[in-house]
Amino acid sequence: MESLGNTLANLLTIAWLLPLFGFVVQILFALRWWGRKSKTAAYLAIFCIGAGFVCSSTAFYLWGEGTDWAVFKPSEHGHVEQADAGGADHATAGRDDPEHKITSHESEKQAVFAGPLYTLATFGNLHVSLDYYIDSLTLAMFVMVTLIATCIHIFATGYMAEELVDDYVDHQVHTHDGGHFHRPGRFYKFFSYMSLFCFAMLGLVLAGNIFQVFIFWELVGICSYLLIGFYVERHSASTAANKAFIVNRVGDFGFIIGLMILWTSFGTFSFADQHGTNGKVQPGLFSMARGHDGELTKTADGKTVVLKTEQDGHGHWEAPAEPSHQKTITYTLLIVAGLGVFGGCVGKSAQFPLQTWLPDAMEGPTPVSALVHSATMVAAGVYLAGRFYPMFVPEVLLTIAYVGCITAFVGATIAIVATDIKKVLAYSTISQLGYMMLGLGVGGWGAGLFHLITHACFKSLMFLCSGSVIAGCHHEQEMTKMGGLLRKMPITALTMLAGVIAIAGLAIPGTSIAFSGYHSKDAILATALAYTKLNPIHFLLFVVPLLTAGITSFYMFRLWFYTFLGKPRDQHLHEHVHESPWEMTGPLLLLAVLAAGCAIGGEDGRLFKMLTFSEPVGVGHGVDGAAAHTVSLPGHAAVHESHSTAGSAALLAAFIGMSISYLVYGKGVINPADIKRQAASVHAFLANKWGFDDLYDVMFVKPAHVVAKFAAAIDKFVFDEILHTFVRMGIAVSKWDRKFDEGVIDGIVNLMGNSTYSLGISLRNVQTGKIRQYVTFIAVSVVTLFVLLFALYPKG
Amino acid sequence: MNEIGLLVQRLLDETTKTSVGLFVPELVLSGTIVAMLLCRILPLLWRVPAQWIALLGAFTAFAWTLCQFDQLVGGTLQAKEIFTGLLMFDQFATFFRMFLCLFLILTITLTVLSGIPDREDGPDFYTLLLGATLGMMIMASANHLLMVFLGVEMASVPSYAMVGFLKGRKKSSEAALKYVVYGAGAAGVMLYGISLLAGLTGTGSLPEIGHRLSLIVSQGAGIGDPIVRTIVLASLMVLVGLAFKLSVFPFHFWCPDVFEGAAAEVAGFLSVASKAGAFALLVRFGLAFSGGSAAVSEIAFALGIGIGVLAAAAATFGNLSAYGQTNIKRMLAYSTIAHAGYMLMAVSALMVMKYSKHGGAESTAVTLSCIEGLIYYLFVYLFMNLGAFAIVALVRNQIFSEEIDDYNGLATQCPLLCFCMALCIFSLIGLPPMGGFFAKLVIFASVFKATSVHWAMWFVLGAGAINTVFGLFYYIRILKAMYLKPRPDGARKVSYDLMPVGLFVLMICLPTLGLGVLPARFTETFNNVASVLLTGR
Repeated sequence: MESLGNTLANLLTIAWLLPLFGFVVQILFALRWWGRKSKTAAYLAIFCIGAGFVCSSTAFYLWGEGTDWAVFKPSEHGHVEQADAGGADHATAGRDDPEHKITSHESEKQAVFAGPLYTLATFGNLHVSLDYYIDSLTLAMFVMVTLIATCIHIFATGYMAEELVDDYVDHQVHTHDGGHFHRPGRFYKFFSYMSLFCFAMLGLVLAGNIFQVFIFWELVGICSYLLIGFYVERHSASTAANKAFIVNRVGDFGFIIGLMILWTSFGTFSFADQHGTNGKVQPGLFSMARGHDGELTKTADGKTVVLKTEQDGHGHWEAPAEPSHQKTITYTLLIVAGLGVFGGCVGKSAQFPLQTWLPDAMEGPTPVSALVHSATMVAAGVYLAGRFYPMFVPEVLLTIAYVGCITAFVGATIAIVATDIKKVLAYSTISQLGYMMLGLGVGGWGAGLFHLITHACFKSLMFLCSGSVIAGCHHEQEMTKMGGLLRKMPITALTMLAGVIAIAGLAIPGTSIAFSGYHSKDAILATALAYTKLNPIHFLLFVVPLLTAGITSFYMFRLWFYTFLGKPRDQHLHEHVHESPWEMTGPLLLLAVLAAGCAIGGEDGRLFKMLTFSEPVGVGHGVDGAAAHTVSLPGHAAVHESHSTAGSAALLAAFIGMSISYLVYGKGVINPADIKRQAASVHAFLANKWGFDDLYDVMFVKPAHVVAKFAAAIDKFVFDEILHTFVRMGIAVSKWDRKFDEGVIDGIVNLMGNSTYSLGISLRNVQTGKIRQYVTFIAVSVVTLFVLLFALYPKG
Repeated sequence: MNEIGLLVQRLLDETTKTSVGLFVPELVLSGTIVAMLLCRILPLLWRVPAQWIALLGAFTAFAWTLCQFDQLVGGTLQAKEIFTGLLMFDQFATFFRMFLCLFLILTITLTVLSGIPDREDGPDFYTLLLGATLGMMIMASANHLLMVFLGVEMASVPSYAMVGFLKGRKKSSEAALKYVVYGAGAAGVMLYGISLLAGLTGTGSLPEIGHRLSLIVSQGAGIGDPIVRTIVLASLMVLVGLAFKLSVFPFHFWCPDVFEGAAAEVAGFLSVASKAGAFALLVRFGLAFSGGSAAVSEIAFALGIGIGVLAAAAATFGNLSAYGQTNIKRMLAYSTIAHAGYMLMAVSALMVMKYSKHGGAESTAVTLSCIEGLIYYLFVYLFMNLGAFAIVALVRNQIFSEEIDDYNGLATQCPLLCFCMALCIFSLIGLPPMGGFFAKLVIFASVFKATSVHWAMWFVLGAGAINTVFGLFYYIRILKAMYLKPRPDGARKVSYDLMPVGLFVLMICLPTLGLGVLPARFTETFNNVASVLLTGR
């Protein structure tokens, strides 16, 4: 199995490093070798990421072969659980029978591979290294990221083609004389940034320790900054880039606190157990916190968690019985660490209250929005929350659930009133990310990540479609000026429809024939329902997402009806609209197929099984809150029970949303303007994005400006004055000093230098060159030394 | 079988079965000398180049000592007295023998590259070189007063001839003559000291001396006691012989003249190799007083202070005298005097700590670091001094001058040589991160520890610190000439082959940097050698 692990690591490392190679070549040589008007840079980027996809797929295949495709075999464990009756009973049963789970896991072949790639530095006990951690989640993410990135790269060769000029005119930047801004085209630069981003994103997914995650976390952040600010001359773009970067730093602040706590308490950053050179196995974070049964070991008072740092006979990690050997962390600190790391996820995944940067990030080129700001980077927060799941205690999970819930609702409501086609998609992305977080928070580990993958497919599709529309409409993004584009751009319209159906979660009632979004959203809602059954006090965690599902359906169809149906609202614009070239529609078709079919089979389908194969130990049988925890988490069986109820409710909500949307925007039965007038205050509130930007402006930006002005004033009038006085004094003193220096110090130094020098010169005279004298000196010296010794000899 | 016969039998057994086997490296060198002379005699073998025979012999000896050292560290070989106690075979001796063989290899390589002995004189020159090395190896393993004298003489006599080897050069012959006469004087004094010591103790064996002395020195006897007085005088006279080899002030007079007169290669050899041998001998002689009574320790303690004062004087004198020099070899000669002073400080600290009344675990640790520092310094010194002399020799071959003024602007023509020279000089000055800095640091640190025992060590430490600054001025002059002054018009062009010559110089000079940057591995070995010598473990 070692060799399989190495092969996988090598393949994924190649897939990871290829884009880096592409980036280096493009940024250094593209201009020199191929010039501004060549698409070679794009082809190189596509080759790199495409080869990465091939490597990832091969790795996935080898992994499947190596594990005898255990991932797709029907889970016996699941059947046993389903045969059980009763949610709460069931959770207990699962825990009483941990051996079952273990044996069923151990009889299978090794499916998780971890190890070091390269040691960066060693400080005492701290090894800062690049590790890899490969399980089915890693592989799924690799395949997803490389596939979608390939599609988007191909799309971008068409979309960015107008940059293939020596003199690019940016119509959105006005110069002082009223003209437009001219600059050289930056086609190659766009693709080099994209390659760098792919490298960073894959590195993040491959990372085997939390510190490495952090490194690549920041690297994707910087790529996002560069790409949002791609049209840096546009004031809105550079501001948006800054905003994204700064808001993300807020989250990363929490991340760093989490890292510090983890390092102090656990003494390692590694996810997996590490095999040292001396044959000793060092437990990784997950082993230390959860051991083999997924349970925290607490002391009697429940305030301290004992880390599992010793291996018993079976190789299971256990907490040492001897208190002096115990490594402990207080429960509160564990909560803070979890919240800290989740803080990073909040920033990156644009969760409430840090969601404000994502809509502004749409200033970047549309392929960037599709790749970075919908499918991959913003999902990295969800990915990390999933990867780090074993470290989250129930209190943290509850926080995650509520944050996700609020985000989903806020995002969806703002999307109702947004009129910019990309902004609608951005708010929908925020909302869907909220769904994922909610899914993780209520204990649906598989459900949350399931939605991550399906969402990546349909949201990147929709962004590319919007890109196609924008390109077709000559960079018009306002939906109010579109309409009736179905005839003009049929492929775009139909693929977009596939995406809309997928995100809305529509299905044929009574069957499980549906597009991907239905399955994943259904999984989340089912988990949420099971959760609220166990914890009735948190009923909002089911009601709000259900409502949001309806709203989602409503605004997505609104977007589609607005754009593609009805009469053209701007005749002039409409006349010049054209369908996009094949390199843009091709990826759309492929992604449409994925959006429709990637989740076939729902929770019995391959994708879901693939993901849940890596599910952290202990998720499956849930957590009984009655014992010690504040909340209970539903097990698989409990979720299964809620499935039909939740599914029907979600479907109903989706149909209602779609119907209203059709009535208002498709059929025109109700005039949207009337509603707007009647609910003017609500509309204004939503259009104002719930006032978050204003709030932050008042709370942070304005105070920061005031403080800055105050500091500048203090600087100018107080410190500068003091400094100037000092300087004046200094000049006066130094004038004196110079005289002193030249007269006295130099004199002394020169005197010393001269005297040593002349002493040296005079010493030459001792060396007379006369041999007779030399020999005499021997005798003289001996006698002198003897006399000296005689004189100095300690008198005793 | 009578008793004499039995004794002879035992002697033969001891010699043939153990001693000769451990003496192989020296025998190899002797064999090489014979082989080279044979080639000179037989017309058939005239064509065999002597340097390759010499190199082969040196390599074999080096490899053999390396194996011995390895076995000693590994414990396969045990330290023992050989040849009925005349020589000592232990880690310390073997380390120095190894060191000398390595240095021999480097020197022969340098002479091959610079071509100083021509084809005709090659065998003679290498015979002398190997003979001198042989003497120094015996110095390093001497365990008997007789061998002390023999070793010093064996090392000296070939050196005299080597100094005068540049036939037809008046300065060279004059230097050789001075060296001989001065050496003879010093040897006479030393021999007198040895005979006094041997007469007092009735033995020549070094490890015995401490014990024997405590039998004749009464408790609490001061310098007024005639026996103590004699012992002090005798030891002083033995030290004179060693001080001559170390060229320590005030027994350095031969040094500048000899270095200026001899070829740079020979000067480089003498400056490093004879110092290494002499320091090994000095440490052994210094440790010979151990195991004696408190009164003996007191004598050794006083000698240690005396050595410290000598060291301070040597360092100061060497550095100050170097100021006015215009000839680079003469300047380097004074610099070697100064460096001998620094290294002597380590010996002084060693003796002061070893023989102080308040001994203990801590003082043992300090003595350890003294020897470690001394070895470290010698090791770095090998590279930095040989490097400097090698560059002087190579440049001499091109510009036919050894005056510092003729080095003006050399950096524009041979950047590699000048860079290597800069490395050596920075290391000689003792700037971090060069090896010279860390070596000085270790020695100064142990001297600092020794200040807690006797106030005079403050004086030694202060002299060491001040001299580091003194050294800066004259060394920098060479760099200033090479890098800052313009190359005068019409000056001779310097060209050399990058491949063997440049590589060789780089190979010698880079370790000065490497020994500073990665000293851990080396210090471990040095520490081991020191601890085996001092504590037997």
